[in-house]
Amino acid sequence: MSTQTKPEYMLLFRGSDWHKGLSPEEIQQVVTQMYAWFDRLTKQGKLKAGQPLEFEGKIVSQNKGRSVVDGPFAESKEAIAGYFLLQVNSLDEAVEIARDYPALNYGATVEVRPVAPECSVNQILRQKSAEEELAQASV
Amino acid sequence: MTNSDPASGAQPPEEINHVVEHLFRHEAGKMVSTLTRIFGVEHLKLAEDVVQEALVRALQTWPYYGIPRNPAAWITQVSKNLALDVIRREKVFRNKEVAISRFMEESSASSTAEDSVLFGEQISNDSLWMMFMCCHSLLPQEAQVALALKTLCGFSIAEIARAFLTSEAAIAKRLTRAKQKIRDAGIPFELPAGEELTRHLDGVLQTLYLLFNEGYKASGGKNLIREELCHEGIRLGSLLAQHSVGNRPRSHALLALMLLNGARLPSRVDTDGNILRLKEQDRPCWDQGMIARGLYHLMRSTEGDEISEYHLQAGIAACHCAAKDYESTDWPRILSLYDLLTEMDDSPVVALNRAVAVSNVHGPKAGIEAVEAIRNREQLNSYYLLYAVLGEFEALLSNRQAAINYFRKSLDLATIKSEKKFLSKRLRSIEYHGSTLHSY
Repeated sequence: MSTQTKPEYMLLFRGSDWHKGLSPEEIQQVVTQMYAWFDRLTKQGKLKAGQPLEFEGKIVSQNKGRSVVDGPFAESKEAIAGYFLLQVNSLDEAVEIARDYPALNYGATVEVRPVAPECSVNQILRQKSAEEELAQASV
Repeated sequence: MTNSDPASGAQPPEEINHVVEHLFRHEAGKMVSTLTRIFGVEHLKLAEDVVQEALVRALQTWPYYGIPRNPAAWITQVSKNLALDVIRREKVFRNKEVAISRFMEESSASSTAEDSVLFGEQISNDSLWMMFMCCHSLLPQEAQVALALKTLCGFSIAEIARAFLTSEAAIAKRLTRAKQKIRDAGIPFELPAGEELTRHLDGVLQTLYLLFNEGYKASGGKNLIREELCHEGIRLGSLLAQHSVGNRPRSHALLALMLLNGARLPSRVDTDGNILRLKEQDRPCWDQGMIARGLYHLMRSTEGDEISEYHLQAGIAACHCAAKDYESTDWPRILSLYDLLTEMDDSPVVALNRAVAVSNVHGPKAGIEAVEAIRNREQLNSYYLLYAVLGEFEALLSNRQAAINYFRKSLDLATIKSEKKFLSKRLRSIEYHGSTLHSY
Protein backbone atom coordinates (compact mmCIF):
# COMPACT_ATOMS: atom_id res chain seq x y z
CA MET A 1 0.00 0.00 0.00
CA SER A 2 1.54 3.28 -1.12
CA THR A 3 2.25 5.93 1.47
CA GLN A 4 4.12 8.15 -0.98
CA THR A 5 1.52 10.97 -1.24
CA LYS A 6 2.21 13.89 1.09
CA PRO A 7 0.00 14.32 4.13
CA GLU A 8 -2.72 16.95 4.23
CA TYR A 9 -3.31 19.68 6.79
CA MET A 10 -6.21 21.96 7.26
CA LEU A 11 -5.75 25.59 8.27
CA LEU A 12 -8.87 26.97 9.91
CA PHE A 13 -8.85 30.75 10.03
CA ARG A 14 -10.63 31.87 13.15
CA GLY A 15 -11.94 35.32 13.87
CA SER A 16 -14.55 37.31 12.04
CA ASP A 17 -14.15 40.75 13.57
CA TRP A 18 -10.44 41.47 13.37
CA HIS A 19 -10.95 43.73 10.37
CA LYS A 20 -13.36 46.05 12.16
CA GLY A 21 -11.90 49.51 12.38
CA LEU A 22 -9.38 49.04 9.60
CA SER A 23 -9.19 52.01 7.27
CA PRO A 24 -9.80 51.55 3.53
CA GLU A 25 -6.07 51.94 3.00
CA GLU A 26 -5.25 49.22 5.53
CA ILE A 27 -7.88 46.88 4.08
CA GLN A 28 -6.32 47.31 0.66
CA GLN A 29 -2.90 46.47 2.08
CA VAL A 30 -4.16 43.29 3.74
CA VAL A 31 -6.02 42.21 0.58
CA THR A 32 -2.79 42.60 -1.39
CA GLN A 33 -0.76 40.68 1.22
CA MET A 34 -3.31 37.88 1.46
CA TYR A 35 -3.64 37.51 -2.28
CA ALA A 36 0.16 37.35 -2.68
CA TRP A 37 0.33 34.70 0.05
CA PHE A 38 -2.39 32.54 -1.51
CA ASP A 39 -0.86 32.93 -4.93
CA ARG A 40 2.60 31.94 -3.74
CA LEU A 41 1.32 28.80 -2.01
CA THR A 42 -0.67 27.82 -5.09
CA LYS A 43 2.38 28.22 -7.34
CA GLN A 44 4.42 26.12 -4.93
CA GLY A 45 1.80 23.38 -5.25
CA LYS A 46 1.17 23.41 -1.50
CA LEU A 47 -2.37 24.78 -1.54
CA LYS A 48 -4.90 22.18 -2.67
CA ALA A 49 -8.03 24.12 -1.83
CA GLY A 50 -9.18 27.18 0.05
CA GLN A 51 -12.43 29.03 0.45
CA PRO A 52 -13.92 31.80 2.55
CA LEU A 53 -17.09 31.19 4.54
CA GLU A 54 -20.02 33.57 4.85
CA PHE A 55 -20.87 34.52 8.38
CA GLU A 56 -24.61 34.33 8.15
CA GLY A 57 -25.62 30.71 8.55
CA LYS A 58 -27.32 28.40 10.97
CA ILE A 59 -26.35 26.48 14.06
CA VAL A 60 -28.03 23.15 14.63
CA SER A 61 -28.02 21.58 18.06
CA GLN A 62 -29.99 19.35 20.40
CA ASN A 63 -31.78 21.30 23.12
CA LYS A 64 -35.16 19.89 24.05
CA GLY A 65 -35.44 18.72 20.46
CA ARG A 66 -33.55 19.72 17.36
CA SER A 67 -32.93 23.44 17.45
CA VAL A 68 -31.84 25.58 14.59
CA VAL A 69 -30.80 29.14 15.29
CA ASP A 70 -29.12 31.86 13.31
CA GLY A 71 -25.39 32.11 13.70
CA PRO A 72 -22.52 32.41 14.14
CA PHE A 73 -22.55 36.13 14.56
CA ALA A 74 -20.34 38.74 13.00
CA GLU A 75 -18.52 39.66 16.21
CA SER A 76 -16.72 36.51 17.05
CA LYS A 77 -13.17 35.48 17.73
CA GLU A 78 -14.11 31.83 17.26
CA ALA A 79 -16.06 31.89 14.05
CA ILE A 80 -14.31 30.18 11.20
CA ALA A 81 -13.78 32.68 8.41
CA GLY A 82 -12.32 30.28 5.86
CA TYR A 83 -10.02 27.34 5.39
CA PHE A 84 -7.00 26.12 3.50
CA LEU A 85 -6.22 22.54 2.60
CA LEU A 86 -2.46 22.20 2.39
CA GLN A 87 -0.41 19.35 1.09
CA VAL A 88 3.07 19.60 2.62
CA ASN A 89 5.66 17.39 4.22
CA SER A 90 5.00 17.87 7.92
CA LEU A 91 2.97 19.57 10.61
CA ASP A 92 5.92 21.90 11.20
CA GLU A 93 5.82 23.00 7.60
CA ALA A 94 2.07 23.61 7.84
CA VAL A 95 2.60 25.65 10.99
CA GLU A 96 5.32 27.72 9.31
CA ILE A 97 2.89 28.52 6.52
CA ALA A 98 0.18 29.42 9.04
CA ARG A 99 2.51 31.96 10.62
CA ASP A 100 2.27 34.04 7.45
CA TYR A 101 -1.47 34.61 7.70
CA PRO A 102 -1.63 38.42 7.45
CA ALA A 103 -4.63 38.74 9.76
CA LEU A 104 -2.60 37.46 12.71
CA ASN A 105 -1.35 41.03 13.14
CA TYR A 106 -4.90 42.08 13.90
CA GLY A 107 -5.88 39.38 16.40
CA ALA A 108 -7.10 36.56 14.18
CA THR A 109 -5.88 33.01 14.86
CA VAL A 110 -5.17 29.94 12.77
CA GLU A 111 -5.89 26.38 13.81
CA VAL A 112 -3.63 23.81 12.13
CA ARG A 113 -5.06 20.27 11.99
CA PRO A 114 -3.64 17.23 10.25
CA VAL A 115 -6.20 15.49 8.08
CA ALA A 116 -6.44 11.96 9.46
CA PRO A 117 -5.20 9.57 6.78
CA GLU A 118 -6.95 6.32 6.11
CA CYS A 119 -4.91 3.78 8.04
CA SER A 120 -3.50 0.72 6.27
CA VAL A 121 -5.66 -1.66 8.38
CA ASN A 122 -8.78 -0.23 6.78
CA GLN A 123 -7.23 -0.60 3.35
CA ILE A 124 -6.44 -4.27 3.96
CA LEU A 125 -9.96 -4.94 5.30
CA ARG A 126 -11.53 -3.28 2.28
CA GLN A 127 -9.31 -5.28 -0.05
CA LYS A 128 -10.32 -8.51 1.73
CA SER A 129 -14.03 -7.78 1.55
CA ALA A 130 -13.74 -6.92 -2.14
CA GLU A 131 -12.02 -10.25 -2.76
CA GLU A 132 -14.77 -12.10 -0.85
CA GLU A 133 -17.50 -10.44 -2.92
CA LEU A 134 -15.71 -11.44 -6.09
CA ALA A 135 -15.41 -15.06 -4.85
CA GLN A 136 -19.15 -15.23 -4.00
CA ALA A 137 -20.14 -13.75 -7.33
CA SER A 138 -18.32 -16.38 -9.29
CA VAL A 139 -19.93 -19.24 -7.41
CA MET B 1 -25.16 39.24 -2.46
CA THR B 2 -25.69 39.09 -6.17
CA ASN B 3 -24.11 36.35 -8.21
CA SER B 4 -23.40 38.52 -11.20
CA ASP B 5 -19.92 39.91 -11.15
CA PRO B 6 -19.56 42.97 -13.37
CA ALA B 7 -15.84 42.57 -13.20
CA SER B 8 -16.18 39.48 -15.44
CA GLY B 9 -14.10 36.97 -13.60
CA ALA B 10 -10.93 36.84 -11.60
CA GLN B 11 -7.40 37.14 -12.86
CA PRO B 12 -5.79 33.91 -13.98
CA PRO B 13 -3.35 32.72 -11.33
CA GLU B 14 -0.30 33.45 -13.50
CA GLU B 15 -0.64 37.22 -13.24
CA ILE B 16 -0.90 38.99 -9.93
CA ASN B 17 -3.22 41.90 -10.49
CA HIS B 18 -2.00 44.89 -8.61
CA VAL B 19 -4.71 47.06 -7.21
CA VAL B 20 -4.03 50.71 -8.00
CA GLU B 21 -2.54 52.55 -5.03
CA HIS B 22 -5.12 54.12 -2.74
CA LEU B 23 -7.96 52.67 -4.84
CA PHE B 24 -9.95 51.53 -1.80
CA ARG B 25 -9.67 54.91 -0.22
CA HIS B 26 -10.75 56.75 -3.35
CA GLU B 27 -13.59 54.38 -4.13
CA ALA B 28 -14.78 54.65 -0.55
CA GLY B 29 -14.86 58.43 -0.95
CA LYS B 30 -16.87 58.25 -4.15
CA MET B 31 -19.39 55.72 -2.85
CA VAL B 32 -19.92 57.51 0.46
CA SER B 33 -20.83 60.64 -1.50
CA THR B 34 -23.33 58.83 -3.71
CA LEU B 35 -24.90 56.84 -0.88
CA THR B 36 -25.23 59.94 1.26
CA ARG B 37 -27.18 61.54 -1.55
CA ILE B 38 -29.46 58.48 -1.72
CA PHE B 39 -29.88 58.01 2.01
CA GLY B 40 -29.91 61.67 2.92
CA VAL B 41 -27.39 63.77 4.79
CA GLU B 42 -28.75 62.65 8.16
CA HIS B 43 -27.64 59.10 7.34
CA LEU B 44 -24.01 59.88 6.51
CA LYS B 45 -22.79 57.33 9.07
CA LEU B 46 -24.93 54.64 7.49
CA ALA B 47 -23.43 55.40 4.10
CA GLU B 48 -19.95 55.06 5.62
CA ASP B 49 -20.89 51.74 7.24
CA VAL B 50 -22.23 50.29 3.98
CA VAL B 51 -19.08 51.22 2.10
CA GLN B 52 -16.89 49.77 4.83
CA GLU B 53 -18.87 46.54 4.62
CA ALA B 54 -18.24 46.37 0.87
CA LEU B 55 -14.51 46.72 1.41
CA VAL B 56 -14.59 43.98 4.04
CA ARG B 57 -16.30 41.71 1.51
CA ALA B 58 -13.45 42.36 -0.87
CA LEU B 59 -11.09 41.41 1.90
CA GLN B 60 -12.97 38.16 2.50
CA THR B 61 -13.16 37.00 -1.09
CA TRP B 62 -10.56 38.54 -3.36
CA PRO B 63 -7.59 36.70 -1.85
CA TYR B 64 -9.30 33.36 -2.54
CA TYR B 65 -10.94 34.05 -5.88
CA GLY B 66 -8.52 36.55 -7.32
CA ILE B 67 -8.61 40.28 -7.69
CA PRO B 68 -11.38 41.25 -10.12
CA ARG B 69 -10.44 42.66 -13.48
CA ASN B 70 -12.22 45.89 -12.56
CA PRO B 71 -11.81 46.30 -8.79
CA ALA B 72 -13.51 49.71 -8.73
CA ALA B 73 -16.62 48.40 -10.49
CA TRP B 74 -16.79 45.46 -8.09
CA ILE B 75 -16.68 47.75 -5.07
CA THR B 76 -19.37 49.96 -6.58
CA GLN B 77 -21.65 47.02 -7.36
CA VAL B 78 -21.32 45.47 -3.92
CA SER B 79 -21.86 48.82 -2.20
CA LYS B 80 -25.06 49.25 -4.18
CA ASN B 81 -26.29 45.77 -3.31
CA LEU B 82 -25.61 46.26 0.37
CA ALA B 83 -27.28 49.66 0.23
CA LEU B 84 -30.33 48.06 -1.32
CA ASP B 85 -30.47 45.52 1.51
CA VAL B 86 -30.37 48.33 4.02
CA ILE B 87 -33.11 50.25 2.23
CA ARG B 88 -35.42 47.25 2.13
CA ARG B 89 -34.79 46.53 5.79
CA GLU B 90 -35.15 49.98 7.30
CA LYS B 91 -38.59 51.55 7.58
CA VAL B 92 -37.09 55.00 7.49
CA PHE B 93 -36.38 54.61 3.76
CA ARG B 94 -39.92 53.70 2.75
CA ASN B 95 -40.52 57.02 1.04
CA LYS B 96 -37.30 56.95 -0.98
CA GLU B 97 -38.36 54.20 -3.38
CA VAL B 98 -38.10 56.39 -6.46
CA ALA B 99 -34.61 57.61 -5.72
CA ILE B 100 -33.52 54.10 -4.90
CA SER B 101 -34.84 52.41 -8.01
CA ARG B 102 -33.21 55.05 -10.17
CA PHE B 103 -29.99 54.41 -8.32
CA MET B 104 -30.21 50.67 -8.91
CA GLU B 105 -30.87 51.17 -12.61
CA GLU B 106 -27.77 53.30 -12.97
CA SER B 107 -24.91 51.41 -14.51
CA SER B 108 -25.98 47.82 -13.98
CA ALA B 109 -23.79 45.17 -15.59
CA SER B 110 -25.67 45.40 -18.89
CA SER B 111 -25.45 49.17 -19.25
CA THR B 112 -24.46 50.85 -22.49
CA ALA B 113 -21.36 52.98 -22.88
CA GLU B 114 -23.60 56.03 -22.77
CA ASP B 115 -25.12 54.93 -19.49
CA SER B 116 -21.75 54.53 -17.88
CA VAL B 117 -20.73 58.01 -19.02
CA LEU B 118 -23.89 59.37 -17.40
CA PHE B 119 -23.23 57.32 -14.31
CA GLY B 120 -19.68 58.64 -14.24
CA GLU B 121 -21.06 62.15 -14.37
CA GLN B 122 -23.48 61.38 -11.57
CA ILE B 123 -20.65 60.04 -9.44
CA SER B 124 -18.61 63.17 -9.98
CA ASN B 125 -21.69 65.30 -9.27
CA ASP B 126 -22.11 63.46 -6.01
CA SER B 127 -18.46 63.91 -5.07
CA LEU B 128 -18.68 67.57 -5.92
CA TRP B 129 -21.83 67.99 -3.85
CA MET B 130 -20.11 66.25 -0.96
CA MET B 131 -17.19 68.66 -1.36
CA PHE B 132 -19.52 71.64 -1.09
CA MET B 133 -21.17 70.08 1.93
CA CYS B 134 -17.93 69.34 3.76
CA CYS B 135 -16.60 72.80 3.01
CA HIS B 136 -19.77 74.55 4.13
CA SER B 137 -19.23 77.90 5.82
CA LEU B 138 -21.31 76.71 8.78
CA LEU B 139 -18.46 74.51 9.88
CA PRO B 140 -15.20 75.68 11.48
CA GLN B 141 -12.27 75.57 9.05
CA GLU B 142 -10.44 72.67 10.75
CA ALA B 143 -13.64 70.65 10.75
CA GLN B 144 -14.06 71.23 7.02
CA VAL B 145 -10.63 69.82 6.26
CA ALA B 146 -11.14 66.82 8.59
CA LEU B 147 -14.58 66.07 7.16
CA ALA B 148 -13.30 66.29 3.58
CA LEU B 149 -10.49 63.87 4.43
CA LYS B 150 -12.88 61.44 6.12
CA THR B 151 -15.79 61.36 3.70
CA LEU B 152 -14.24 62.34 0.36
CA CYS B 153 -10.77 60.93 0.68
CA GLY B 154 -11.52 57.81 2.71
CA PHE B 155 -9.02 58.54 5.49
CA SER B 156 -9.66 56.88 8.83
CA ILE B 157 -9.73 58.90 12.04
CA ALA B 158 -6.35 57.47 12.98
CA GLU B 159 -4.86 58.48 9.65
CA ILE B 160 -6.27 62.02 9.94
CA ALA B 161 -4.88 62.32 13.46
CA ARG B 162 -1.43 61.28 12.23
CA ALA B 163 -1.62 63.76 9.37
CA PHE B 164 -2.54 66.63 11.69
CA LEU B 165 -0.14 65.52 14.43
CA THR B 166 -2.98 65.42 16.93
CA SER B 167 -4.99 62.83 18.87
CA GLU B 168 -7.68 60.54 17.51
CA ALA B 169 -10.03 61.76 20.21
CA ALA B 170 -9.65 65.36 19.03
CA ILE B 171 -10.40 64.42 15.43
CA ALA B 172 -13.35 62.23 16.42
CA LYS B 173 -14.87 65.10 18.39
CA ARG B 174 -14.31 67.53 15.56
CA LEU B 175 -16.09 65.20 13.15
CA THR B 176 -19.01 64.42 15.46
CA ARG B 177 -19.68 68.11 15.98
CA ALA B 178 -19.44 68.82 12.28
CA LYS B 179 -21.88 66.05 11.37
CA GLN B 180 -24.29 67.25 14.01
CA LYS B 181 -24.21 70.77 12.59
CA ILE B 182 -24.87 69.42 9.12
CA ARG B 183 -27.81 67.34 10.34
CA ASP B 184 -29.28 70.26 12.23
CA ALA B 185 -28.88 72.65 9.31
CA GLY B 186 -30.62 70.29 6.90
CA ILE B 187 -28.33 71.10 4.00
CA PRO B 188 -30.08 70.07 0.78
CA PHE B 189 -28.42 67.85 -1.77
CA GLU B 190 -28.28 70.21 -4.69
CA LEU B 191 -25.27 71.91 -6.07
CA PRO B 192 -25.44 75.65 -5.39
CA ALA B 193 -25.92 78.07 -8.26
CA GLY B 194 -25.40 81.72 -9.12
CA GLU B 195 -24.06 84.00 -6.42
CA GLU B 196 -24.39 81.33 -3.78
CA LEU B 197 -22.15 79.16 -5.88
CA THR B 198 -19.38 81.76 -6.05
CA ARG B 199 -19.45 82.18 -2.28
CA HIS B 200 -19.39 78.45 -1.68
CA LEU B 201 -16.72 77.90 -4.30
CA ASP B 202 -14.38 80.27 -2.50
CA GLY B 203 -14.96 78.27 0.66
CA VAL B 204 -14.14 75.02 -1.09
CA LEU B 205 -10.97 76.48 -2.62
CA GLN B 206 -9.91 77.81 0.77
CA THR B 207 -10.38 74.39 2.34
CA LEU B 208 -8.46 72.64 -0.41
CA TYR B 209 -5.66 75.19 -0.01
CA LEU B 210 -5.50 74.49 3.72
CA LEU B 211 -5.57 70.76 3.12
CA PHE B 212 -2.68 71.04 0.68
CA ASN B 213 -0.68 73.27 3.02
CA GLU B 214 -1.16 70.89 5.88
CA GLY B 215 0.57 68.27 3.80
CA TYR B 216 3.18 70.60 2.45
CA LYS B 217 4.47 71.92 5.77
CA ALA B 218 7.87 70.63 6.69
CA SER B 219 7.37 67.86 9.15
CA GLY B 220 10.78 66.29 9.26
CA GLY B 221 11.72 62.97 7.78
CA LYS B 222 9.70 61.19 5.18
CA ASN B 223 6.12 61.53 6.27
CA LEU B 224 4.16 59.84 3.57
CA ILE B 225 0.76 60.52 4.96
CA ARG B 226 1.35 64.27 4.82
CA GLU B 227 2.37 64.01 1.18
CA GLU B 228 -0.86 62.08 0.68
CA LEU B 229 -2.71 65.22 1.75
CA CYS B 230 -1.05 67.17 -1.05
CA HIS B 231 -2.06 64.55 -3.58
CA GLU B 232 -5.62 64.49 -2.27
CA GLY B 233 -5.76 68.29 -2.51
CA ILE B 234 -4.69 68.01 -6.13
CA ARG B 235 -7.13 65.18 -6.84
CA LEU B 236 -10.11 67.07 -5.41
CA GLY B 237 -8.96 70.28 -7.09
CA SER B 238 -8.88 68.47 -10.42
CA LEU B 239 -12.36 67.09 -9.86
CA LEU B 240 -13.57 70.59 -9.10
CA ALA B 241 -11.86 72.33 -12.02
CA GLN B 242 -13.13 69.76 -14.51
CA HIS B 243 -16.74 70.07 -13.44
CA SER B 244 -18.87 72.78 -15.00
CA VAL B 245 -19.74 74.07 -11.54
CA GLY B 246 -16.12 74.50 -10.47
CA ASN B 247 -14.60 75.42 -13.82
CA ARG B 248 -13.47 78.95 -12.97
CA PRO B 249 -10.15 80.73 -13.43
CA ARG B 250 -9.44 80.72 -9.71
CA SER B 251 -10.00 76.96 -9.48
CA HIS B 252 -7.40 76.47 -12.21
CA ALA B 253 -5.07 78.87 -10.44
CA LEU B 254 -5.28 76.94 -7.17
CA LEU B 255 -4.80 73.67 -9.00
CA ALA B 256 -1.75 75.12 -10.77
CA LEU B 257 -0.32 76.24 -7.43
CA MET B 258 -0.79 72.81 -5.89
CA LEU B 259 0.70 70.99 -8.87
CA LEU B 260 3.71 73.27 -9.14
CA ASN B 261 4.48 73.05 -5.43
CA GLY B 262 3.62 69.36 -5.32
CA ALA B 263 6.09 68.66 -8.12
CA ARG B 264 8.90 69.63 -5.79
CA LEU B 265 7.82 67.44 -2.86
CA PRO B 266 10.22 64.54 -3.50
CA SER B 267 13.25 66.81 -3.46
CA ARG B 268 12.51 68.83 -0.33
CA VAL B 269 14.00 66.37 2.09
CA ASP B 270 17.32 64.49 1.82
CA THR B 271 17.84 60.80 2.59
CA ASP B 272 18.40 61.57 6.28
CA GLY B 273 15.18 63.52 6.51
CA ASN B 274 16.85 66.94 6.58
CA ILE B 275 15.20 69.90 4.90
CA LEU B 276 16.72 71.11 1.66
CA ARG B 277 16.06 74.65 0.57
CA LEU B 278 15.25 75.57 -3.01
CA LYS B 279 18.88 76.33 -3.67
CA GLU B 280 19.96 72.84 -2.56
CA GLN B 281 17.20 70.77 -4.13
CA ASP B 282 17.97 68.26 -6.82
CA ARG B 283 15.98 69.79 -9.64
CA PRO B 284 16.00 66.73 -11.94
CA CYS B 285 13.93 65.05 -9.18
CA TRP B 286 11.11 67.49 -9.70
CA ASP B 287 8.09 65.84 -11.27
CA GLN B 288 8.05 67.23 -14.79
CA GLY B 289 4.64 65.76 -15.48
CA MET B 290 3.14 67.71 -12.59
CA ILE B 291 4.97 70.86 -13.65
CA ALA B 292 3.55 70.50 -17.15
CA ARG B 293 0.02 70.02 -15.77
CA GLY B 294 0.55 72.95 -13.43
CA LEU B 295 1.59 75.23 -16.27
CA TYR B 296 -1.41 74.07 -18.30
CA HIS B 297 -3.80 75.02 -15.51
CA LEU B 298 -1.95 78.28 -14.99
CA MET B 299 -2.66 79.04 -18.62
CA ARG B 300 -6.33 78.06 -18.16
CA SER B 301 -6.51 80.38 -15.18
CA THR B 302 -5.85 83.36 -17.44
CA GLU B 303 -9.09 82.79 -19.37
CA GLY B 304 -11.37 85.51 -18.11
CA ASP B 305 -10.50 88.58 -16.16
CA GLU B 306 -10.28 87.54 -12.58
CA ILE B 307 -7.03 87.63 -10.66
CA SER B 308 -6.96 85.92 -7.31
CA GLU B 309 -4.21 85.36 -4.78
CA TYR B 310 -3.97 81.84 -6.11
CA HIS B 311 -3.06 83.27 -9.53
CA LEU B 312 -0.17 85.21 -8.05
CA GLN B 313 1.09 82.40 -5.85
CA ALA B 314 0.90 80.01 -8.80
CA GLY B 315 2.83 82.51 -10.92
CA ILE B 316 5.58 82.64 -8.31
CA ALA B 317 5.71 78.83 -8.11
CA ALA B 318 5.91 78.69 -11.90
CA CYS B 319 8.95 80.98 -11.89
CA HIS B 320 10.73 78.57 -9.58
CA CYS B 321 9.72 75.48 -11.53
CA ALA B 322 10.75 77.01 -14.83
CA ALA B 323 14.27 77.85 -13.66
CA LYS B 324 16.78 75.20 -14.53
CA ASP B 325 18.85 76.09 -11.49
CA TYR B 326 18.66 78.49 -8.58
CA GLU B 327 20.88 81.07 -10.26
CA SER B 328 18.62 81.22 -13.32
CA THR B 329 15.51 82.07 -11.27
CA ASP B 330 13.62 85.10 -12.59
CA TRP B 331 13.64 87.05 -9.32
CA PRO B 332 12.53 90.38 -10.81
CA ARG B 333 9.40 88.67 -12.08
CA ILE B 334 8.86 87.00 -8.73
CA LEU B 335 9.23 90.37 -7.03
CA SER B 336 6.63 92.00 -9.27
CA LEU B 337 4.21 89.16 -8.44
CA TYR B 338 4.85 89.68 -4.74
CA ASP B 339 4.21 93.40 -5.20
CA LEU B 340 0.75 92.53 -6.50
CA LEU B 341 0.23 89.89 -3.85
CA THR B 342 1.02 92.22 -0.97
CA GLU B 343 -1.58 94.63 -2.35
CA MET B 344 -4.24 91.92 -2.21
CA ASP B 345 -3.13 90.34 1.03
CA ASP B 346 -1.61 92.47 3.76
CA SER B 347 -0.44 89.47 5.77
CA PRO B 348 3.02 90.15 7.17
CA VAL B 349 4.12 86.63 6.22
CA VAL B 350 3.54 87.41 2.55
CA ALA B 351 5.48 90.67 3.00
CA LEU B 352 8.32 88.69 4.57
CA ASN B 353 8.45 86.43 1.53
CA ARG B 354 8.50 89.55 -0.62
CA ALA B 355 11.50 90.82 1.32
CA VAL B 356 13.40 87.70 0.30
CA ALA B 357 12.58 88.46 -3.34
CA VAL B 358 13.72 92.06 -2.79
CA SER B 359 17.04 90.82 -1.48
CA ASN B 360 17.52 88.58 -4.49
CA VAL B 361 16.93 91.49 -6.86
CA HIS B 362 18.35 94.51 -4.98
CA GLY B 363 20.71 92.98 -2.44
CA PRO B 364 20.49 92.10 1.26
CA LYS B 365 20.55 95.70 2.52
CA ALA B 366 17.38 96.40 0.54
CA GLY B 367 16.00 93.14 1.93
CA ILE B 368 16.52 94.36 5.50
CA GLU B 369 14.84 97.66 4.67
CA ALA B 370 11.92 95.77 3.16
CA VAL B 371 11.52 93.77 6.37
CA GLU B 372 11.61 96.92 8.50
CA ALA B 373 8.93 98.45 6.30
CA ILE B 374 6.50 95.56 6.79
CA ARG B 375 3.11 96.73 8.02
CA ASN B 376 1.96 94.94 11.17
CA ARG B 377 5.54 93.78 11.58
CA GLU B 378 4.94 93.18 15.30
CA GLN B 379 2.76 90.18 14.39
CA LEU B 380 5.97 88.45 13.32
CA ASN B 381 7.70 88.91 16.67
CA SER B 382 7.40 85.23 17.60
CA TYR B 383 7.71 83.93 14.06
CA TYR B 384 10.97 82.03 13.82
CA LEU B 385 11.30 82.61 10.05
CA LEU B 386 11.51 86.38 10.54
CA TYR B 387 14.78 85.95 12.38
CA ALA B 388 16.04 83.27 10.00
CA VAL B 389 15.48 85.64 7.06
CA LEU B 390 17.17 88.56 8.83
CA GLY B 391 20.00 86.21 9.79
CA GLU B 392 20.53 85.29 6.15
CA PHE B 393 20.59 88.95 5.10
CA GLU B 394 23.18 89.81 7.76
CA ALA B 395 25.28 86.81 6.78
CA LEU B 396 25.26 87.98 3.16
CA LEU B 397 26.53 91.37 4.39
CA SER B 398 29.27 89.54 6.37
CA ASN B 399 27.87 90.91 9.64
CA ARG B 400 28.79 87.72 11.41
CA GLN B 401 27.71 88.59 14.95
CA ALA B 402 24.38 90.06 13.90
CA ALA B 403 23.70 86.94 11.84
CA ILE B 404 24.56 84.67 14.76
CA ASN B 405 22.24 86.61 17.09
CA TYR B 406 19.36 86.34 14.68
CA PHE B 407 19.85 82.62 14.06
CA ARG B 408 20.02 81.96 17.80
CA LYS B 409 16.70 83.74 18.25
CA SER B 410 15.21 81.83 15.36
CA LEU B 411 16.37 78.51 16.82
CA ASP B 412 14.76 79.41 20.16
CA LEU B 413 11.42 80.02 18.51
CA ALA B 414 11.38 77.07 16.12
CA THR B 415 9.38 74.06 17.29
CA ILE B 416 9.51 71.48 14.53
CA LYS B 417 12.49 69.13 14.91
CA SER B 418 13.61 69.22 11.29
CA GLU B 419 13.50 73.02 11.26
CA LYS B 420 15.55 73.19 14.45
CA LYS B 421 18.09 70.82 12.98
CA PHE B 422 18.35 72.96 9.88
CA LEU B 423 18.77 76.19 11.84
CA SER B 424 21.44 74.66 14.09
CA LYS B 425 23.38 73.66 11.02
CA ARG B 426 23.16 77.20 9.62
CA LEU B 427 24.19 78.67 12.95
CA ARG B 428 27.19 76.38 13.26
CA SER B 429 28.37 77.11 9.74
CA ILE B 430 28.27 80.86 10.39
CA GLU B 431 29.95 80.53 13.77
CA TYR B 432 32.78 78.37 12.51
CA HIS B 433 33.20 79.57 8.96
CA GLY B 434 31.92 83.11 9.41
CA SER B 435 31.18 83.24 5.70
CA THR B 436 28.18 83.40 3.45
CA LEU B 437 28.24 79.77 2.38
CA HIS B 438 24.65 79.70 1.27
CA SER B 439 22.65 82.69 0.30
CA TYR B 440 18.95 82.36 0.79
